[in-house]
Amino acid sequence: MKEISIIGINEITYPHLDIWNWTIALYLYLGGMVAGLMILGAISQLRSSPITEKATDRPVSCYMAPILSPILLSIGMLFIFLDLTRKLNSFWFYLNFNIMSPMSWGAWGVGIIIPVSALWAISSLPGSYLDKLKRWKFIPYLYNKLVPYRDKLARLNCGLGIFLGIYTGVLLSSFVARPLWNSAILPILFLNSGLSTGAALLIIIAKDRMEKVFFTKADIALIATEIVIIILFYYAHLTSTSPHVESIAPFFTKGYYFPFWITVFLLGIFLPMALVLDVARVKGFSVLGLEKLRIHLSACLVLIGGLVTRLAFVYVGQLSSLSDIVKR
Amino acid sequence: MACVVACKRENDVPEEHYRTRVVEIVEGKFPKLRMELRPELCNHCENAPCVYNCPTGASYKRKDGIVMVDKKKCVGCKACMAACPYDARFIDPRNGAAHKCTLGEHRIIDGKDPACVTTCISGARIFGDFNDPQSPVSRILAERHVRTLIPEAGTKPTIYYIGLELLT
Ligand code: SF4
Ligand code: SF4
Repeated sequence: MKEISIIGINEITYPHLDIWNWTIALYLYLGGMVAGLMILGAISQLRSSPITEKATDRPVSCYMAPILSPILLSIGMLFIFLDLTRKLNSFWFYLNFNIMSPMSWGAWGVGIIIPVSALWAISSLPGSYLDKLKRWKFIPYLYNKLVPYRDKLARLNCGLGIFLGIYTGVLLSSFVARPLWNSAILPILFLNSGLSTGAALLIIIAKDRMEKVFFTKADIALIATEIVIIILFYYAHLTSTSPHVESIAPFFTKGYYFPFWITVFLLGIFLPMALVLDVARVKGFSVLGLEKLRIHLSACLVLIGGLVTRLAFVYVGQLSSLSDIVKR
Repeated sequence: MACVVACKRENDVPEEHYRTRVVEIVEGKFPKLRMELRPELCNHCENAPCVYNCPTGASYKRKDGIVMVDKKKCVGCKACMAACPYDARFIDPRNGAAHKCTLGEHRIIDGKDPACVTTCISGARIFGDFNDPQSPVSRILAERHVRTLIPEAGTKPTIYYIGLELLT
């Protein structure tokens, strides 16, 4: 029998750390999705050459991925801003750079990625959009200046996308104090999940059948990789120290998080894969004997699965601790 | 629990929050029970993850080893709280800044001990300068077997415990 009582408890001391909530999860989710959009959009743009200026028949991903990236990332930034308890001091993020602090890397990284991806977005605008945006004179001006560098910008954004995707995982995995997060596999899992949700969004917004099939095939590969990474993640924890073993327990023992996690697995990973697995067998891209609905439903489930995964990791990670007084 | 009360009183600690706590651990089966009373506070770690995880430099380490928070620079991102294996920090609800034990720095400047040490009736808390070989803490460190909390976290705490037995 063991009994622990604590006199003088902090809100966070007992029963467990409770400092980050859904806003952080949403920031990580949108950050991951934008990483996916940047990487896949860049690949899509670079492989659909030659790119004719103002071409309207380019794949949607060639311009929508760059356009959505700075917008979604700014929304993500808004969520992390909401979480700050001293918002007026935010400028201090940019008066200091702490090389050891992932939060510092994130603040600077996102601060650089938003304008760079915005430049890429302008260089990728299709003619019809440019016509609509004509009244803001700087947009056509910037477009003309940036178009010759579009491929270079795509490559740069692809690299920044990889940084961003990995960063969303490093932000959590760097905390030795939280055993669930403290894993080198987490950044890879988040990068992969970001690519998967980015692909899912592109599947939904793509107009062309060929493009939908391309990203669906990509997503099948990404979901399959995710299953392997998740298994490795749990395996690494299971074979590690006792705080690591205990940290994954909420996912597998009866209680609040168990049905939650099963839902992620079934609805966010297996079901979307099962729905579109036959697309992998489609040779080339011209044959599309699939119902749009099935592909879209699968993509929506991937999007929901990605969000629930972030929520699960943010909340369950805070239940985990190295301290004996927090263990229940 | 005089230390918990003295700290709150001395340092204007916000309501429902504490800079120090006493963990009471009872183990065994009646009537064979063992008990440990363990005061806990910020460990003023040598390798402090709260400091190296702070993006703004608000958490910093003084030359004398005391880990402090500069409220002016704090943005309230809570990275330091997530990083602390000892859950020694909290957000001050009055101003949103990270808050923690300062080792009674306003008292030690005047040569006094921290309030929790002064008030401890059994002398269980001992304060001193490790750089001074004659200080009581240096002598205890040399003579007794001491341990730190969660040494596996690699934070190198500077708060040492004598007779730490249970649950560690
Ligand atoms: S105990 Fe926590 S708050 Fe104190 S120095 Fe160590 S890591 Fe920082
Ligand atoms: S809450 Fe304040 S002290 Fe803590 S890491 Fe953020 S800025 Fe630094």
